[in-house]
Amino acid sequence: MSLTCWGVDMAVPRLRVTMLLLLLPTVLVPGTVHAQAPSAPDRHIEGHWVRKDVGGAGNFGGLANQIPPAQLTPEAAAGRGGGPGRAGGPGRGGGQQPSTPNAAGVPYIVVERPCANPGRGNGALLINPDSGGIHIIEHKDEVILAGERGGVRHIYLDARPHPAPGSRVPVNAGHSLGRYEGDALIVDTIGLTPGGVAGGGLRTAETRLRERLEVSPDGKTMTITYTWEDPKIYQKPHTYSYVFDRLPSGSYAFEDWCDAGDPIEKQSIVPPPQKP
Amino acid sequence: MRGLKAGHMRSYRVAAIVLGAGIAALFSYVASAQTRETAGTPASRDLSGFWELSFDSRRVPDANLLSAVTRAVRAERAKRDAYAIRWCNLLGMPFVMDSGRPLDIRQGRTAVIIVPENASGPRYLYLDRSTHIGEEIFDPTAYGDSIAHWEGDTLVADTIGFHPDRGITTIPGGGHRSATSHLVERYRLLQGGQVLSVVFTWTDPKVFRTPHTYEFRYYRLPADYEPRTWLPCDPFDDGRGQFLEGPAPRAGAGGK
Repeated sequence: MSLTCWGVDMAVPRLRVTMLLLLLPTVLVPGTVHAQAPSAPDRHIEGHWVRKDVGGAGNFGGLANQIPPAQLTPEAAAGRGGGPGRAGGPGRGGGQQPSTPNAAGVPYIVVERPCANPGRGNGALLINPDSGGIHIIEHKDEVILAGERGGVRHIYLDARPHPAPGSRVPVNAGHSLGRYEGDALIVDTIGLTPGGVAGGGLRTAETRLRERLEVSPDGKTMTITYTWEDPKIYQKPHTYSYVFDRLPSGSYAFEDWCDAGDPIEKQSIVPPPQKP
Repeated sequence: MRGLKAGHMRSYRVAAIVLGAGIAALFSYVASAQTRETAGTPASRDLSGFWELSFDSRRVPDANLLSAVTRAVRAERAKRDAYAIRWCNLLGMPFVMDSGRPLDIRQGRTAVIIVPENASGPRYLYLDRSTHIGEEIFDPTAYGDSIAHWEGDTLVADTIGFHPDRGITTIPGGGHRSATSHLVERYRLLQGGQVLSVVFTWTDPKVFRTPHTYEFRYYRLPADYEPRTWLPCDPFDDGRGQFLEGPAPRAGAGGK
């Protein structure tokens, strides 16, 4: 049997060899091979994350209690009490606490100044995220952590130095530099505003925070290990970890709408009328 | 005859080898290009940087508005915008793209994030999906739902799902964002990457008679620029409230 190719009779066996030769590169192209292989776990820290209740505490108090207590210096312990709010977050100012139950239809006012948390948009919540989602974008020069409940942290990877001590006004997010160790992101932060730290710790503008952000081998969880260092405050570095679940691909950041001009933002429940 | 056939066979073999090698080289080049694309985004397709608008950055024609957008409608919109400013609301689109301070734009594998230096919060252009979140799931927001893809060296972002009232809704050139607004943005680097052109096109059957297109050109700031932590916005600052809501300023009167 023979076929005609480019006007020339070719024997079939030769055609097979030729076709094999032609098809060989398609087998060797990496993309073709990769398309057939199972996808590897995503080890990037980029993505959407939400804090996980690892120990099954079931509430924020229980979660906070799982954090090992900070070993404060006697001086820091004596001066403690300056850090408002839980887990280092600035307080929002509680509303009046009624001594008797409110009448039906009278709402409980629980926040005097809603939406005015100075941590909003400034990274405080992202030092120790709460239940709101966090979103990480990785670029070769900068990693950005953004929280649904406010806050953006800029982590510079471009080899710039920290600003000289005293040359920059402390901010809630501090000044962060990052580098990779394998797939883990190592972050070094100084220049934080004074306040509280999870586990009964404290921070000042001189306190250094080291973080290690690392995704599990299966790509499904991320652990952030926090280490606070300050010889004036801590007898030894104060270390603890938060674990986050990766949200599915295609997730998106929720908008945390808060309108300080809306009176309903101040209130909690409204007691309903009671049956006699 | 035999010699001629043998000659043809050698020719076929050589032709086949040359053809195979050529195709292999072509595939190798394509594969190599794909690898480069994955490993490191080409500079022309990386919008990352610190970007600032200047006095000559805006090319904004008047919008061709529907007659339904009356003076009263515009006044109501202006009132809502003033409320959003007064109460430090999340300001949303399109305000965030011209917020008065530089933008930090970072392009990751899955999204582009646009971070302003004010209380408006970051904006995301998602690269990892090609369809919008369904309206049965997505609650309208001040930024809407933005998805983006590359067309050559242009990043095309498509946004729907806008909230009709939240934040500053006024659109440069006239009109306002509404629940039926559709925004297409085309991001492209110019002048060796020192300028970022963004062409905005708004369509809305309830606002615009024809698509409303305008362009901003952002200047790149030095790579070691440090974003200023966002300016505080305290809705309970009485002095600020009085300034924004009190009587209009008059000549010779000083602030208190």
